[in-house]
Amino acid sequence: MNNFFKLVYNELFKIYIRKSTWAMYIILAGIIIGVGFLSNIDELSSKQYSDDNWRETLEEENQELTKEMEEAEEDGIFYDMNSNIIAENNYYLENDIQPDGYGAMQFVLENQLLLSLVSLLTIIIAAGIVANEFRWGTIKLLLIRPITRTKALLSKYAAVILFAFFTLLFVLIFSYIIGLIFYGFGSFNPHMLVDDGNGLAYVSVISEIVPAYGFKLVNLVMMATFAFAISTIFRNSALAIGVAIFLMMAANPIMLYFSDRAWAKFILFANTDLSQYTAGSTPFMEGMTLGFSITVLIVYYLLFMALSWAFFTIRDIAGQ
Amino acid sequence: MSNVAMELQDVRKSIGKKEIIKGLTFSIYKGEVFGFIGPNGAGKTTTIRMMVGLMELSHGDVLILGNSIKHDFKNAIREVGAIVENPEMYPFMTGWQNLMHYARMIPGISKERVQEVIKLVGLEKPIKEKVGKYSLGMRQRLGIAQALLHSPSILILDEPTNGLDPAGIREIRQYIRRLAAEENVAVIISSHLLSEIELMCDRIGIIKNGELIATQTVQDTNTAETQDIIQVQMQVSPMNQAVDVLKTDHALEAKSEGETLLFQTEKEKIPEIVRSFVQNDIAIYQVNSSKSSLEDKFFDLIGENTIE
Ligand SMILES: Nc1ncnc2c1ncn2[C@@H]1O[C@H](COP(=O)(O)OP(=O)(O)O)[C@@H](O)[C@H]1O
Ligand SMILES: [Mg+2]
Repeated sequence: MNNFFKLVYNELFKIYIRKSTWAMYIILAGIIIGVGFLSNIDELSSKQYSDDNWRETLEEENQELTKEMEEAEEDGIFYDMNSNIIAENNYYLENDIQPDGYGAMQFVLENQLLLSLVSLLTIIIAAGIVANEFRWGTIKLLLIRPITRTKALLSKYAAVILFAFFTLLFVLIFSYIIGLIFYGFGSFNPHMLVDDGNGLAYVSVISEIVPAYGFKLVNLVMMATFAFAISTIFRNSALAIGVAIFLMMAANPIMLYFSDRAWAKFILFANTDLSQYTAGSTPFMEGMTLGFSITVLIVYYLLFMALSWAFFTIRDIAGQ
Repeated sequence: MSNVAMELQDVRKSIGKKEIIKGLTFSIYKGEVFGFIGPNGAGKTTTIRMMVGLMELSHGDVLILGNSIKHDFKNAIREVGAIVENPEMYPFMTGWQNLMHYARMIPGISKERVQEVIKLVGLEKPIKEKVGKYSLGMRQRLGIAQALLHSPSILILDEPTNGLDPAGIREIRQYIRRLAAEENVAVIISSHLLSEIELMCDRIGIIKNGELIATQTVQDTNTAETQDIIQVQMQVSPMNQAVDVLKTDHALEAKSEGETLLFQTEKEKIPEIVRSFVQNDIAIYQVNSSKSSLEDKFFDLIGENTIE
């Protein structure tokens, strides 16, 4: 087992010793700083209700928003947005809860969108981790050690998952730091209002962060495993990156296109978003359940892994 | 304990319908340097890939210290260090990082051992530099270092002299001879140029079109030269009778190639042989002789088109 950790260490070493990996992290950091900077300019999120007259502030805000709505068209997006904010403000007033100011924690929650960037980076790493050894010709030296090919492959897969985990951790921690710099600490355990399907509910921001990131991780792991499989089967990282990213981008249009077919629920992307089963959401198709989606996901996952394994362990290492 | 380090048993390889390796059977002994020689495309790399388990064998088996590469891969490969084709390393890592990477893959390799191997191949100076900056000769040496880390019983080097200058070749020859002599390592060296590795080999095997067409101890030809044994070509008729006469009267094995009779003997014996042919009513049209060297034999065996 100890031996396996050393193999995983080797794989991570080869990932993090390369400048291109660090370039990816620098870009990620730049985007987080940019987002922090841009939303700092945006007034809405920088509003504070910390002083004693927060009730008056809310009332004033409501009046302003109502006036805006009267001027605006009936069904524009501003109309919806404003009426949502008014509803939230009324909730605070009725229940006499002082709203928490926008702080680092809220910023982290908003950055969940950055998870698609984490997916992107993980796909690039997953697509290269086997194919690059073939491209560099180092696969020959790697596989003439007293280690089974299965173990070599698993160590590479484990390194991909760890890379995803480290990158996710980086996004969380770095977002928090940037949030601290731009918005301050906020309160110790900030709360917010969310629509849980039965109207507004007052919940802790942290309790929102965990599922928000958690649900997106399912997609991340599936796409990384998919890229890993393509790269292992075709021994070509560019192909794996291309196909995986294309599918990730095209997932929604694809699902829309096939949405009237009965078998569409068996498509991977119909099942990667498990948040469709939370309160206040409707599943992609009638009759789909959480159990169904988990089963479909496991079947796809095992299929990707089995194909990777079969191609990696059985095929000759020739011509490299 | 057996003296055999590696044994090939009727090893064959087919890719698609084409049979690339057509039944190789030979052994390599501990402490010997075995030259695996043949023109480009003869099947040397393919054979080596099968020896180290990178390619599946279509037929037969390879035993390494008695362990089958097919059925007991881990125990078999533990005793092997190899370079297959080019000595490719991670270019973005230093020589030291490359070696440590491989050292971590096998239990029991200390940092001291890594340093020892670096010293053996003379890479102390550039070891902290990125491999991407190494010359071919330096990468060749790093490749050998990588193969020696775990003190294997068998070292397999595929065309290690490729692209090296004569000084580089001489250097490789020196530490390969030292390894064989001091550590009783069996070394398999492939090359398409006999002259480059002849001096470092104890024995050579010649492969052509996937078949082993001859094995020869280098010592043999050296003694042959000192005793003035020569290669004789005669045009005679009838051929069969000539072969018989050589066998019964002179205890010589002869081959016939078309109208030419081929055999080896000492120069002093030729008049005697001619006399016995005449006595047996065998017509002699021509007698040629040439000094037999390994190089000649190699060219005789594989034809002149050995260079790319
Ligand atoms: N992956 C492959 N598919 C088909 N033919 C191959 C493959 N690899 C090698 N060959 C063929 O096998 C023969 C032997 O090749 P190789 O072992 O590389 O020769 P050598 O190393 O002696 O130059 C060549 O004719 C080559 O074309
Ligand atoms: Mg070759």
